[in-house]
Amino acid sequence: MSQQLIVAVALAYLLLLFLVAWMVEHSSGWLSRLTGSSVVYTLSLAVYCSSWTFNGGVGRAAQSGLDFLPIYLGPTLVFILGPILIRRILRISKANRITSIADLIGARFGKSGGLAALVTVIAVVGLIPYIALQLKSIASGFAALSAGGFGGASATRPVLMDEALWAAVVLTVFAMLFGSRSIRPGEHHPGMVVAVALESILKLVSLTAIGLFVGYGAFHGFGDLFTQAAAIPEISTIYEYSPHRYGYSWISMTVLAGLAIFCLPRQFQVMFVENVVEQHLDKARWQFPLYLLAINLFVLPIAIAGRLMLPADTDPDNLVLAVPLAAGQPLIALIAFLGGVSAAASMVVVETTALSIMVCNDVVMPALLRVKSLDLASRSDLTRLLLWVRRGVMAAVMALGYLYMRHDSAQFALVSIGLMSFVAVAQFAPAMLGGLFWGGATKAGAFTGITSGFLIWCYTLLLPSFARSGALGMEFIADGPFGIALLKPYALFGFEGLDPVTHAAFWSLLVNAGGFIAVSLAGRQTPVEHARAAMFVDADHPGDAAQIWRRTALVPDLMSLTARFLGRERAEAAFADWAGSRGVDPATAVTADTETVLFYERLLAGVIGAASARVLVGAIVEEEPLGVDEVMRILDETSRIIEANRQLEEKSRALEAATAELTGVNARLQELDRLKDDFIATVNHELRTPLASIRAFSEILRDHPELSDDERLEFLRVVVAESERLTRLINQLLDLSKIEASGSFPAERQPVDLAAVIRESTAAMQQVFAGSQVGLKLSIEAEPAEIVGDHDRLVQVVINLLGNAVKFSPPGRGEAELRLRRVGDELELSVADNGPGIRAADREIVFERFRQLGDPMTDKPQGVGLGLAISHRIVTQHGGRIWIEDAIGGGAVFKIRLGGTRLAAE
Amino acid sequence: MLRRSRRRDRLLGLFGLGVLLLDPPILNLVGGTLFGWPSLYLYLFGVWGLLIAGAAWLGGRGTAPPIDGGRKTGR
Repeated sequence: MSQQLIVAVALAYLLLLFLVAWMVEHSSGWLSRLTGSSVVYTLSLAVYCSSWTFNGGVGRAAQSGLDFLPIYLGPTLVFILGPILIRRILRISKANRITSIADLIGARFGKSGGLAALVTVIAVVGLIPYIALQLKSIASGFAALSAGGFGGASATRPVLMDEALWAAVVLTVFAMLFGSRSIRPGEHHPGMVVAVALESILKLVSLTAIGLFVGYGAFHGFGDLFTQAAAIPEISTIYEYSPHRYGYSWISMTVLAGLAIFCLPRQFQVMFVENVVEQHLDKARWQFPLYLLAINLFVLPIAIAGRLMLPADTDPDNLVLAVPLAAGQPLIALIAFLGGVSAAASMVVVETTALSIMVCNDVVMPALLRVKSLDLASRSDLTRLLLWVRRGVMAAVMALGYLYMRHDSAQFALVSIGLMSFVAVAQFAPAMLGGLFWGGATKAGAFTGITSGFLIWCYTLLLPSFARSGALGMEFIADGPFGIALLKPYALFGFEGLDPVTHAAFWSLLVNAGGFIAVSLAGRQTPVEHARAAMFVDADHPGDAAQIWRRTALVPDLMSLTARFLGRERAEAAFADWAGSRGVDPATAVTADTETVLFYERLLAGVIGAASARVLVGAIVEEEPLGVDEVMRILDETSRIIEANRQLEEKSRALEAATAELTGVNARLQELDRLKDDFIATVNHELRTPLASIRAFSEILRDHPELSDDERLEFLRVVVAESERLTRLINQLLDLSKIEASGSFPAERQPVDLAAVIRESTAAMQQVFAGSQVGLKLSIEAEPAEIVGDHDRLVQVVINLLGNAVKFSPPGRGEAELRLRRVGDELELSVADNGPGIRAADREIVFERFRQLGDPMTDKPQGVGLGLAISHRIVTQHGGRIWIEDAIGGGAVFKIRLGGTRLAAE
Repeated sequence: MLRRSRRRDRLLGLFGLGVLLLDPPILNLVGGTLFGWPSLYLYLFGVWGLLIAGAAWLGGRGTAPPIDGGRKTGR
């Protein structure tokens, strides 16, 4: 097959991919909607299967059987844990607009620029062999296909005649076209993702086609293939059975691959940065492992077929091409070549894109921004600078990859080179996983772990690879440096019996994780680190992170800064969205509070990474950590607010009480008003009734001279009686108003002997009792019974009570008793009768004015109804109480208690 | 909440099972051929396939709210 044809086909294929990518980013049809599909997401993850899988896997299988599989079993196991592990990384990355693994680790440990730069440098150094591997694979595939021979040693030819150089140049241009054509927020490259997905389909189709051809074209079914292989012991032993052949190396490869699936920059890029919808992960969890299974299904059959059909000295890494060629099928060989190109191209494009973002955002930009003389922060448009930095990084990485390939990799199989890179990126895992699940991890711990792990990697894998290529001398491996056997790079501290990769993985990860944990435990977190840790570890619980920086800035400043990296339109649209979500008018917002500053920083971080964004925003933001004073002030304010709140509550309670009091008073006033009306109506009635009868009888006497003397006498008696009643009423009303006018004290204050008062009163009432034939029993048990008060008034009370008793006792057999005794400090005066008694419900109201018991229509009034009211007021004025109880033999007992000695002592 | 933690436990269980079955020493117990096919090849791909089926069966319905509380930012 002619070289021109192969080159033309390969270039046409790459151009087709680019066309697809371009259309995805520029059209609005179904192509642009592809990025929102979970299938595209899953297929883009398959960038994991590089040339290593495509060519190296078969090579490995041909030499040592099934132990290429752990490279895919590890990711499968990790993806089973997807909802726990991967989703968490995804959420944190989205929330913080993480652009790379360096960014993530840097962001976790207090947005540390230094840590991010360290991770970036390690990633670049560690991945150069991996990129070299892709170049080597394409070059040797090209050589195999064009010459029909197998395994042209490219390193022996002049540079310009080297296919690998041209492959590197083409791939670099290709990567630049895909990965650094424009700056987009969030580092999304939808075109690249779709192209990678397309390449993944081609990889799978290509390898499956070869597998089916091997099974049914070259052999009579897979049974036939395995049967033929079983006849040759040296082939059958590699996959059939040999006890204990899979040991530590199988396990270490599983672990390394499981870590690499999220630590490799290109995997991080497609899995987390390019992810548009979190739910895509739900399908990818099992679809991606399924893809891995499918693409590996025919690897072993192809390898066995290669061993059966080809001479033993064939480069095993070229078997995929060599088998169809040997079977006389150049078309299938061409498909295989394109599959290999797809694998290499997708890996190189995504890896260099990811690395260029890392180097640009975490090393170059922070450094440039710190150089004051350049004054980058005030330049108007930085997108071009960013793009050129990235393109430069891509070219540099590819150049290093080419140089490594040309000088060092000739003696290694593809898988060994790839595993070297796996061990390097696995150094990020302890800090990353620790950072995600362990709140106590510190920046110093991460620094220590990553640095020491990387140094061990350099010593146990990188330096020996230089030694094997002749740059250092083989005695470095065989005897150790300066002949110190304990430091032999493949058997550090005398640990022998492991293959170099497992050995390096063991020591580097042990030292890495050990150093990370030990230093974290020994050290302390800064407040910033603590806040970040809480945010990352509690990522499953949504909520804003503790903000311990108070930062303010002007929105126009932030806007013009962001516009420089994003373009004005995108920056304004993003801010309008943000302002809208907070209910702020974007046109009038001038001062940016802490949250807005954070929003801008995240927006910028999506383009240039967290570390750079922090430096940039820091340049225009007034930022101050909350000092002790500040915190105290906040606490002070809080306690003041609490105090004010308490006072307010108190006031409101007082107000409530006052309101209740007012309501009570109001009710009482209304009651008094009603009583006054009643009083006036009653007085009116009480005064008019006797007056009316006096007038009526007087008129009769005047107008009827013919009346008999008896009648005249009778009428005059009525007039006199009514006049007396009127006089009594007026007297009592005057009494009452006098008593009420004197307030709460008796008018006279002098010593009074109650016993004498009683005797005086009973003497005055003697005739009344006798006239009504009511007996009166007097028992004075306390004598003298002195109180301070008004003698005449007290006499009035006793007479009132006695008169009352006479009135209600049945004439003839009535019995009343007056009793005076001492109860404690007080004197008790009681008047009992054997009348009908008073109902409990009426015992309060009889003390009101004009209250007379009985039916006012039928019963003849027996008094004016002021006696008890007057008595009540007099007793109250003397500081005593008056109430009614049931008498023992029926009837009522009026009881009065007066504070005898207390009043006397005043 | 209960359902989610149950699912989490099941996933961890499946992960543990996978680690056990796909690594030595269990792996080294398988050898020879089955119907002319290498039984290790059948075993590895069989277990692998079952693990994928298990992962798919455990389902991706656990859709929790997004981390920023669903707040609309200009992403």
